[in-house]
Amino acid sequence: MSDFSEAMSVASSGMKAQANRLRHVSENIANVDTPGYRRKTIAFQEAFADSQRTGAVETGKVRLDRAELTRIYDPGNPLSDTSGHYNGSNVNMLIEIADAREAQRSYQANLKMFDQVRQMSSALMDLLRR
Amino acid sequence: MYQSLDLFETAAAMAEHAGRRQAVVARNIANADTPGFSAASIPSFSEIYRADHTSDMRLTRPGHMSLEAVMKPAATTGPQAGQASPDGNTVSIEDEMLNAVAISREHNRALTIYRHTMTVLRTTLGQT
Repeated sequence: MSDFSEAMSVASSGMKAQANRLRHVSENIANVDTPGYRRKTIAFQEAFADSQRTGAVETGKVRLDRAELTRIYDPGNPLSDTSGHYNGSNVNMLIEIADAREAQRSYQANLKMFDQVRQMSSALMDLLRR
Repeated sequence: MYQSLDLFETAAAMAEHAGRRQAVVARNIANADTPGFSAASIPSFSEIYRADHTSDMRLTRPGHMSLEAVMKPAATTGPQAGQASPDGNTVSIEDEMLNAVAISREHNRALTIYRHTMTVLRTTLGQT
């Protein structure tokens, strides 16, 4: 029984982490046209409780992508420098969409796992029924 | 009559084993995107059972052979069939899904055996 509850909590931690990742992806996509915006990335790491491995996953600190900002040529823009360029964001839509899709798939896998464990435990409970 | 209690024990051990394996699979799937995580696995029930019962021992007393080894296997991070991704993660979601379904079927099978044994006992007692 404790295995089931452990599996469920681990699966839900996975869903939480993937949802968090998806939130940062949507933040990046929303700010794709914000001048000087650096895309945010979060790393996944194993969760520890009292310095013991729980098997659950959590998201680490938010980091900023240090890739070069894109230079956009627009002399009429108030932000542009003497050469007529200004700094755009370093968000690549293609990467963000792919990341979002991967997060969705992982979320689904975790959800499936959760459902399967729930079914197993309810089948176990059905034994008590006559 | 008491021989069939062994069947109960085996079915219960099988169900518990399936539960433990499922927990390991859940852990692997949750960590499918954790850098440097290596997938863990527990050998299947039949493998452990066979390894534990290769000698021709016969159960004459309940305490002679225990299902302890079957019920408490350790999760090992053995070499996986899949390749590690660039961040050092060796979890393959497809393989884990396959494992999860197989385990859930095994669990179902164990419960069915358990229920059927119970039915047989009930029939013997004349309570249908």
